[in-house]
Amino acid sequence: MMENAEPASRRGFFVFVIGLMFTVFIVRLLQLQFLYQDVYGKKSEENSIRPIARDPIRGYMLDRHGVLIVDNRPSYTVTLTPSEFRAANTHYLAALMHLDTTFIMERIAKGKLYNRFSAIKLKRDISFQEVSAIEENRLKLPGVDYQIESKRFYPTNAKAAHLFGYVKEVSDQLVAEKPEEYRPGDVTGATGLEAKFESDLRGKKGYEFITVNARGEMLGSYNDGKSDIPPKEGNDLYLALDGGLQACAESLMANKRGAVVAIDPDDGGVLALVSKPDYDLTQFGSVTPVDVWNALNTDEAKPLFNRATLTRYPPGSTFKMVLAAAALQEGVIKSSWAINCTGVFHFGNRGFKDHIVHGSTNIIQSIQRSCNVYYYQLMLKTGLETWSRYSELFGFGSPTRIDIAEENPGLVPSEEYYNRVYGKGRWTQGYLVSLGIGQGELGVSPLQMACYAATLGNKGEYHTPHVVMKIRDKSSGQLVDVPVETRHIALSSQVWSLIREGMRRAVNVAEGTALTARVPGIEVAGKTGTAQNPHGKDHAWFIGFAPFDHPRIAICVLVENAGFGGVAAAPIASMCIEKYLYGKISRPTLSLPVATKDEQLAD
Amino acid sequence: MKSWLSEHIDLLVVFIVLGLLTMGIISIYSATYDTGSQVLFQRQLTYAGIGFLLMVAILVMPYRTLQLMSYPLYAVSMIMLILILIAGKVVAGSKSWFGIGGFGLQPSELAKVTTIMALAAYLSQRGVNLHHAKDVVVTFAIALLPVALILGQPDMGTAIIYVAALFFIMYWAGASNFLLLTFIAPGAAAIASLFGTTAFVIVIALTFVFFIMLRKNRLMGAITFSLTVLAGVSTTFIFSKLLPHQQKRILTFLNPDGDPLGAGYNVAQSKIAIGSGGLFGKGFLQGTQTQLNFLPAQWTDFIYCVPSEEFGFIGAFLILILLTGLLLRGVHTASTVKSRYAAVVAIGVVSVLAVHTIINIGMAMGIMPVIGVPLPFLSYGGSNLISNMIMAGLLLHMYANRKEY
Repeated sequence: MMENAEPASRRGFFVFVIGLMFTVFIVRLLQLQFLYQDVYGKKSEENSIRPIARDPIRGYMLDRHGVLIVDNRPSYTVTLTPSEFRAANTHYLAALMHLDTTFIMERIAKGKLYNRFSAIKLKRDISFQEVSAIEENRLKLPGVDYQIESKRFYPTNAKAAHLFGYVKEVSDQLVAEKPEEYRPGDVTGATGLEAKFESDLRGKKGYEFITVNARGEMLGSYNDGKSDIPPKEGNDLYLALDGGLQACAESLMANKRGAVVAIDPDDGGVLALVSKPDYDLTQFGSVTPVDVWNALNTDEAKPLFNRATLTRYPPGSTFKMVLAAAALQEGVIKSSWAINCTGVFHFGNRGFKDHIVHGSTNIIQSIQRSCNVYYYQLMLKTGLETWSRYSELFGFGSPTRIDIAEENPGLVPSEEYYNRVYGKGRWTQGYLVSLGIGQGELGVSPLQMACYAATLGNKGEYHTPHVVMKIRDKSSGQLVDVPVETRHIALSSQVWSLIREGMRRAVNVAEGTALTARVPGIEVAGKTGTAQNPHGKDHAWFIGFAPFDHPRIAICVLVENAGFGGVAAAPIASMCIEKYLYGKISRPTLSLPVATKDEQLAD
Repeated sequence: MKSWLSEHIDLLVVFIVLGLLTMGIISIYSATYDTGSQVLFQRQLTYAGIGFLLMVAILVMPYRTLQLMSYPLYAVSMIMLILILIAGKVVAGSKSWFGIGGFGLQPSELAKVTTIMALAAYLSQRGVNLHHAKDVVVTFAIALLPVALILGQPDMGTAIIYVAALFFIMYWAGASNFLLLTFIAPGAAAIASLFGTTAFVIVIALTFVFFIMLRKNRLMGAITFSLTVLAGVSTTFIFSKLLPHQQKRILTFLNPDGDPLGAGYNVAQSKIAIGSGGLFGKGFLQGTQTQLNFLPAQWTDFIYCVPSEEFGFIGAFLILILLTGLLLRGVHTASTVKSRYAAVVAIGVVSVLAVHTIINIGMAMGIMPVIGVPLPFLSYGGSNLISNMIMAGLLLHMYANRKEY
C-alpha cells in the first residue's frame, strides 16, 4: 500500500477553493441581506406572484348535421379560500348553501393540504337564491365567493346518456398522477365519450397571475396581465350520430328495456346508440347527490348499465346468416340444398322443435321463414370449428373497439371452450344443435349485431364502429379525421346474394317473419330473432339494413322480455329506418302491413 | 479521559455534523409547518438517527476492512444502478428510486460513497500513477461508469457532482496540469458554445494559450485542442437538432431569468427569502416566504432559504461556517493521514460535499444555475442524508486511524 505523500501545494489548492467559496458566499449574503435588505424586504412584503388557474371551456359535441348536441352553459360555483375563512362561520355557511357541516370541514382540510390560499370549490351549479345569499353575506363570510363555470347542457332531445357519458370530480389519485392537468375540484370525463375523449375535450388550463401581499391578500394583476396564459378551449367532437334518429329511437324505447344501435354501413359511423332504461345526465356533472346515486345503483333495471355494448345475450335466429354463410362458402352445402321440415328434429334421444311445420325449405326460405330444423341439420354438417371461425370473422367474440367506454366481448363457443367448461370428451354434438339457431352459450351485444347487419348490408366491409368522425383542433382550427379501420370479409358474391335475398324476403314477401319491419317506399332487409331467457319472457331481436341495394343504415334492436322479435323489435327498427331515410315519420302508429298470425312472426 | 477521546475522535467533525443536523431539522420543521407535510419532519428525524448509528459504526470499524470492501461495495452499487434503470420508480421525471414499502432508496446517493472508496483503493495501489495512460483510463472508467448510468435515469445534477469530484480527486492524486486541462477544456467549450460565439472563442483561445504554456507533447496538445473545438462545434450542432422544449430546458438551465415563471420564479423567490431575512431574520415560523409556500417543496433543494429568512444573516452565516469548517477539517485529515487510501477517501468526501454546497447555496443565492442537488446534512431526503452521514463516518474513521499505514 502506498503512503500519503502529497505536496503541501495540493492541500493549499483545496484550502484556497474552500476559502474562495466561503468568501463569495459571505459577500453575496452581505449584499442580499444588508445592502438590498430594504428592496427584498419590500418585495417579500408585497410578494408575490400567485397563479390563479382558469378553467378552459370543455369541447362541444356536434351531430352529423352539425347540430350542437352537447353544449355548455354557465353555472355558479361557491368557492371558499381556507386562509380567509373563519371556522366559526361553518354552520352558517352550511345552512345557507344547504350543505353538510362535516362536508365543508373535510373540503377545507383537503384544500389546506394543497394550498390554503387558493380557493376550493364547495358546490357546483347553485341556485340563484344561493348566489344572492352569498352576495348578501359577503361581509359576514370572508373567504366565501362564487365563480362562473361551465356546465354540460343538452339542447336537443337526443339525451344519449350512455353515449355522451358524464363528468365527475377528479379523484385524489388522478390529481397526484397528473398535477399539471388536474387540481382538486376539477372535473374529468367519467363515462362514455366524455371519458374516452377526455384529453381532447378537456382543453388546457390557463393562468392569471396576480400579486398578493404577505398575508395573501390580492393586490392586483401581475405585469398588467401581459404574462397571463389564457386557457385553451377543449377540442370539439364531430359525431357520426344523427340527433333526430337518436331522439326518435330513445322515444320508441321509452318504458322498455333494451337497446338500439344504428350504423352507417358505408363507414361504420354510429348513427344512434340507445340503452334503456337510462338516466338523466343533468343530474351528474360534478358531485352527484348521494340519493340520486344510490337510487341509480340499486335500481333493479340497472339504468347505468349500457345494454348496447355490455349485454351478452344469445342472438337467436338473427345469427342464422352466419351459419348459412359458413356452410355455403366452405362448400358444405350447395345453394340448392333443401330439407323437408316436419316441425321437429330428432337428434340422439332428444327432439328439437321448430315453431311451425315449414315443409320443403331451401337456403333462401330458411332465412325468410326462419326454419330451425334447417339450421339444426346444417350446424351438424358444418361443424363447430367452421362455425366458430365464421362467427369470429363477423366480429363476434371480441370487442368491436368502439370509441366509447367498456364493452363486453361476448362469447363464441369453440371446441377449446367446451373442453375447458365440460371436460374433453364430456360434451356431444347435441350441444351444437342449439348453437345453429343462435341459442346456447353464444353471447353477443347489440353493438356487435349492428356491425354484423352493416356487413351483411355492404357485402363484407367490416368498419370498426365509431361515434366520433372528426375532431376540431381548437388551437389550429383544423378539422382532423379520425381514421377508421376496415377489414374485408371475403365471401363469394353468390353467398352474399343468397343470404341477403333471404333477408329481403323475410321483410317483403309473404310468410316472412319480419314483415313488421316494412317501410313504405323503401326496400328493407332484415331478420328477427328471439333469445330464450331462462329467467323470464324471451328477448326480442331484430337486425336489418335499408335500402336493400345501397344500404345507408344498418340497425339492431333488442327489447328485453318482450317475446318475439317480429312483434316487439322489428316495428321499432322500421320506424327508425323511416326516420333516418325520410327525416320524419309519416305513420301515426305502428300498423302491421299485412294480416299476420303470431305463429308466422315467431321464429 | 478527555485527551483519549480527542485523540481518537475528531470531536470538531462530530459537533459540526450535529450542528448541521439540528439546523436542517429545524428548517424542515418550519418549511413543512402547516402544509400537511409534517410527516417529512418526523421521517428526517428517523433518517438522522439511522445515519448517526451508521456514522458511529463506520468510525469503530476495524482499520483496513473498509479498504478491502471498496471494490465489492462498488460492484454492488453499480448493479443497483443498473437494476434501477430496469425496475426503478419514476419520480419527477427521473428513474432514480427503488420503492421499498413506502420509503424510497436512491442508489445514486450511496454510489457516491462507494465510487470514492473504489477510486481511493485503485489510486493507492502500488505502481498506479496518473502519468501512465492506462491508469488514467482505469480511473476514468471507475468514475464515469456511474455517471453514464445516472445520466440514463436521467439525473443531471448528481452526474455533475461525480464529474466535479473526479476532477478534484485526480488533482489530489497527482494528475498533471495537462491532464486536468484536457479534462476540463472540452466540457467548458461545450457549455460556452451554448452561450454564443464570443464565449466559445474565448474558451478556445484560453485553451490554446494554456497548452502553449504547459509545453507538453505537441501531438497530445494538438489532439486535445482539436477535441475541445470539436466538442464546442458538435454541441451547437446537436442543440440545433433538439426539439424546442428541450432547447428551452437547456437555455433555462443556463439562464434562469429567461423564464420568470419557471425556474426563474424559484430563484427570484429564493433571493427574496434570503434578502428579506436581514441580520436577525423574521423569527422561527415567522418567515412569510417560507410559511406562505412561495417556493415549491423548499424542504429539498431550496432549504437554505428557510434559516436565511427566519434567522437572517446569523442563521445563514452559521450554516456557512459549519460547512466550511467541516470541509477544511476534511482537508486537514486528508493531509495528516499516513495511508494514501485514507487520504484519497477523505479528499473525495471533501470534494463531494464541497461541490454540493457550492451548487446548492450558489443556486439559492442566484449566482449558480438551477441544478437540483441537495444541501449536505440539511435538505430533506433519506438516501442523501444517510450517504452524508456515512461520509462523515469515513472522515472520523480516517482521523481515528490516521497513524496507520
